Amino acid sequence: MNNYLEVRNLSKSFESFQLRDITFSLPKGYIMGLIGPNGSGKTTTIKLILNMLKRTSGEVKILGFDNITNEQEAKRNLGVVFDSNYFSDEWKISQVEKSVSSFYENWDTQKFSETLKRFHIQPSKRVKELSKGMQMKLMLACAFSYDAKLLILDEPTSGLDPVSRDELLNILSEYIEDGEHSVLFSTHITGDLERAADYITYISYGELFFSGGKDEFIDRFRIVKGGCEELSADLGKKMIGIRNFSTGFEALVKTEDLKQFAHLNVEPATIDDIVVFTSKRGEQYE
Amino acid sequence: MNNIWKSAKLDFSLVKPYVKTICLIMILPIVFAAVNRSLLTGISFAMCLIAKTTGYTFSITEKNSMERLYGILPIRKSDMVIGRYIFMIIMGFAALIFSLVAHPILLTILGETISIFDCMNAASIGIFLFALYTVFQLPGYYKLGSIKGRVFLYIPVAGFLITLLPITQIPVGESKLLFTVINSPALLMLLAVIFVIVMYVISILVSIKILKNKEV
Repeated sequence: MNNYLEVRNLSKSFESFQLRDITFSLPKGYIMGLIGPNGSGKTTTIKLILNMLKRTSGEVKILGFDNITNEQEAKRNLGVVFDSNYFSDEWKISQVEKSVSSFYENWDTQKFSETLKRFHIQPSKRVKELSKGMQMKLMLACAFSYDAKLLILDEPTSGLDPVSRDELLNILSEYIEDGEHSVLFSTHITGDLERAADYITYISYGELFFSGGKDEFIDRFRIVKGGCEELSADLGKKMIGIRNFSTGFEALVKTEDLKQFAHLNVEPATIDDIVVFTSKRGEQYE
Repeated sequence: MNNIWKSAKLDFSLVKPYVKTICLIMILPIVFAAVNRSLLTGISFAMCLIAKTTGYTFSITEKNSMERLYGILPIRKSDMVIGRYIFMIIMGFAALIFSLVAHPILLTILGETISIFDCMNAASIGIFLFALYTVFQLPGYYKLGSIKGRVFLYIPVAGFLITLLPITQIPVGESKLLFTVINSPALLMLLAVIFVIVMYVISILVSIKILKNKEV
């Protein structure tokens, strides 16, 4: 099995929001960043993958198993970390293990203890006594203890300080080193993606904008800069997003359209640039 | 270990930090029984109180957003629901056994005579009341959550009032079937057991359907 996660034509309709035809796959041994502005559908996609929301249409396969018809098998090797803790605040760390371990046949108590030690989490502490970063590590420690093949993280770095973020990204990079594990994590902190992600799936306004290699994603776009007199209506139509200044403008364009912008200053685009300009959908702003 | 038992065990671990509080609550019916000098009222009160504490698992789950944990565990939703019912029934039986030991001892000390028949009678009514409350309460909690779901507690009370009126108007003497049932404790008990089982089966099926359609 090459793909640990396959999402095909996934759709979900709410009264005020629609997620339409999301298709992407995550190969074994890689990290994929799920990006998009707030409210674009990242968490909805993750919840649909986990069967916490009922899909309107589409298909999701986790490690080859359908996430609804073979839900148990699919979740047996799946680790999930949310942006906040999902254990009882009153539980001691040892109680967390007692409560969760029985659900996983391959739970390794020694590995759990070692991971706690590595993460500097004292088993005698209560969940509520842990910081947000430590609670995140506790969820990870659980996932590592049953050797979850696929790890799904929903905005794990939001609310973490830079040191904890760096530590978390190191942990994820180590986790996939053996080529037998994969990670899907949603974030709007693009710096995390630059560091850790191999693949990017970008969802904007409930629609898939891009899914593929990170380098390919960045290479698809360029930033062009010029003076006010250099901006024509024809050129404007080819621009994905534009930002006007009193002295000129800067815009995001497709690399394939670059010939038409040869007279302008061209710079590589960052993931941030792409997300910001595409989210504005061509809307001009000062 | 079977997934249903694992689920019941997980529910127990949720309530574990509150066991002392629940035990303290169980003292109230002892006082009630002592004041009323009645085993039946004491046991009935105890079973109604313990039925109310079944909302603890839902409250704790909601407070800690633990529906996300339940959502990622490799276990069928039906097993989760049955596990919760089993845990709740175990809690009910624990309360019943405690009450059946504590109440008669106290009442005997106070000079009352308590027979085995009194105990059996009180236990039967206690179990029936517990079942009556919980079969409505749990689907309510699954559907509306631990706060709004409490309204389902009043369904048995309303149900009693609604059924009481037509029942009192039935001329017992004219109905051979009703006469036979009322005058045969064994038959009455058997019918009550069947009624409780049927109620639980329906309640569990409704809860499973609610949980399967629930979006977290």
